[in-house]
Amino acid sequence: MKFDNALKKKLLKRLKSYMNAEAEQLQQEDDGLSKVLKKLKKKEKHLKELIAAERDDDEREMLEQELKVIRSQRKKGITLLSSLRKKGNK
Amino acid sequence: MKGTLQKVMLPTILVILAYGFWISPDFKEIAAGVAIFLFGMLALEEGFKAFTGGTLEKILKKTTNKLWKSISFGVVSTSIMQSSSLVSVITISFLGAGLIGLSEGIGIIFGANLGTTTGAWLVAGFGLKVKISAYAMPMLVFGVIMIFQKSRHLKGIGYILTGLGFLFLGIHHMKEGFETFKSAIDLAEYAVAGYPGLFLFTLIGIFATVVMQSSHATLVLIITALAAQQISYENALALAIGANVGTTITAILGALSSNELGKRLAGAHLIFNVVTGLIAIAFIHQLLVAVDLISAYVGIAEADYTLKLAVFHTLFNLIGIVVMIPFTNHLVGFLERVIKSEPDKYAQPKYLNESALEFADAALEAMRMETARVYTMATDVIAKGLSLDKQKILSDAKLKTVIAQHARAIDYDIDDVYEHEIKRLCSAILDFTNKLSSADPVIARQISRIRMANQSILIALKDVKHLQKNMKRYIASDNPEISAEYNRLRQRIAKVIRRLEKIRASGETSVTSILSLDALKLTLEKNMGLLHERMNELIRGGKVSAEMAISLMNDSNYTYSIIHNLIQINHNYLKSEEGTETEAEHMIALNREEIGTVLADNRETAE
Repeated sequence: MKFDNALKKKLLKRLKSYMNAEAEQLQQEDDGLSKVLKKLKKKEKHLKELIAAERDDDEREMLEQELKVIRSQRKKGITLLSSLRKKGNK
Repeated sequence: MKGTLQKVMLPTILVILAYGFWISPDFKEIAAGVAIFLFGMLALEEGFKAFTGGTLEKILKKTTNKLWKSISFGVVSTSIMQSSSLVSVITISFLGAGLIGLSEGIGIIFGANLGTTTGAWLVAGFGLKVKISAYAMPMLVFGVIMIFQKSRHLKGIGYILTGLGFLFLGIHHMKEGFETFKSAIDLAEYAVAGYPGLFLFTLIGIFATVVMQSSHATLVLIITALAAQQISYENALALAIGANVGTTITAILGALSSNELGKRLAGAHLIFNVVTGLIAIAFIHQLLVAVDLISAYVGIAEADYTLKLAVFHTLFNLIGIVVMIPFTNHLVGFLERVIKSEPDKYAQPKYLNESALEFADAALEAMRMETARVYTMATDVIAKGLSLDKQKILSDAKLKTVIAQHARAIDYDIDDVYEHEIKRLCSAILDFTNKLSSADPVIARQISRIRMANQSILIALKDVKHLQKNMKRYIASDNPEISAEYNRLRQRIAKVIRRLEKIRASGETSVTSILSLDALKLTLEKNMGLLHERMNELIRGGKVSAEMAISLMNDSNYTYSIIHNLIQINHNYLKSEEGTETEAEHMIALNREEIGTVLADNRETAE
């Protein structure tokens, strides 16, 4: 039985992805977390600007509260990402 | 044009009726009888509704699931009640309440026609008649007492008894009103031989039964006239045929207040009795021979025409059943074509169709869209339940002002919308999720989120229903403290609805919309803490009564649950579609404990 090159490559790729399924999933999670963290960082910056410009006390308090939530979320995200990377390095 | 016609119609009818009442006391009595009768029908349906989904449904299903069973049910119940009209009216209300189907109903009607002939035997054989109208008053009294009870079943029985009482009372008044007409009917005047006589007396029989609202009364009249030899035996038979057709008027009257199913059943009743009557007229001579043979066989004297009449009555109804049974399905089909159901006035799923099930992604998207639709409806219900206007909540106006503008409580039946719209749609979505059950963990996770979102919608609505009760009482209370607290609860929910709408609107562009919900969760926890502190102060300061304090405590929990569930709905369906970022958002979203930590940090900073 003879395999042509294209088929060989395809089968090898499939085998590789099968063997690396876990690593691929980790990579996907890593990508997702990184993207969301970047967006959160942007949001945090935007909120800071809004707070600086806000004159209404109630509204500012609400924005500050939101800022605190975002900081906690970022902190949680960073912890998750670092543990994910540790798991990947093992 | 149609609207104008409708506007003109009602006053015209009312004026005509008023004029009729003024010139004829008899007409007034008859009209009142019809009105009481129709009210009785409504009460009866209301009563049977209390038993839907329970024992009565099971019993009815078991006793009517086969044609012979439903026919027997009709025979037995009519023999006991001695009124086919009553059995047909009750059957219509069963149908109206969705307890049985049309085929089962038709079976019962067939049986009732046979069962009613036992009345002829009683009248002819013993001169007896069970006077059920005598029970009307006690039924009304017992019924009303039971309506005041708390138990749903006792209430249901109360409505059934009151309904029956009103039915009897209505029939009684109709009869009273027609009393003058009755004395004008002198059968001897119309004695005619041959087929013309047969048709004429059938028509008289129909007319007399319509007038007297009872085939039994007509039968008594026939038997008396026959015994007094006012009419011939053949004419008496024709009258009996007419009485059988005329008795359907009660069912037709009963169907007026029922839905299309009830109308179809009344139609089946009419068709059955007319067909049976036509068969009897067409084969009258053969039937007479058969009656003579049967009478001789069972030992009825040759000249005992009253008992022979009973034999005839039973025989032609039996023949009617035998002839009609093979056509039952055709009859159902015919009635469904002729009496079309009105388009369903209640909500129907808009996006869930079977073809979407072929592709998991399409099905998930359909469910997500449907859930979004239910959520929009639910927030509308919540706003109305809080005596607010959703459009105003979503406007840019200050919420304090919106609340102040809606200071008066408005009556709004959440139960009705919950049962007929929201619950129906949520059930349709949950059914749809069951059809899509997938082994793929990613799809299974998304399905589970949609399920949870729908469950949260239902819980939130139930909570609003509970909250509505005291809120209506206290928002305009003389006690400014309690009214301020209840208005604060309304404002809080309104604020969350507004905020969620903003997050939803930015959902397409903002990737972190799920995470935006965390700030709301934090506010929720914070406000709960503040409310508890304020509540303690109010109680300590004696500013609210113990009853008010308990209500406020319960209702603040309902408010918490409403807001929590509103957030959960959005958490679960905002982005139920899978993606690496969505998954990351779900991972990062803060849980209750983490929200608590942020809140504690907040307090420390403030101090």
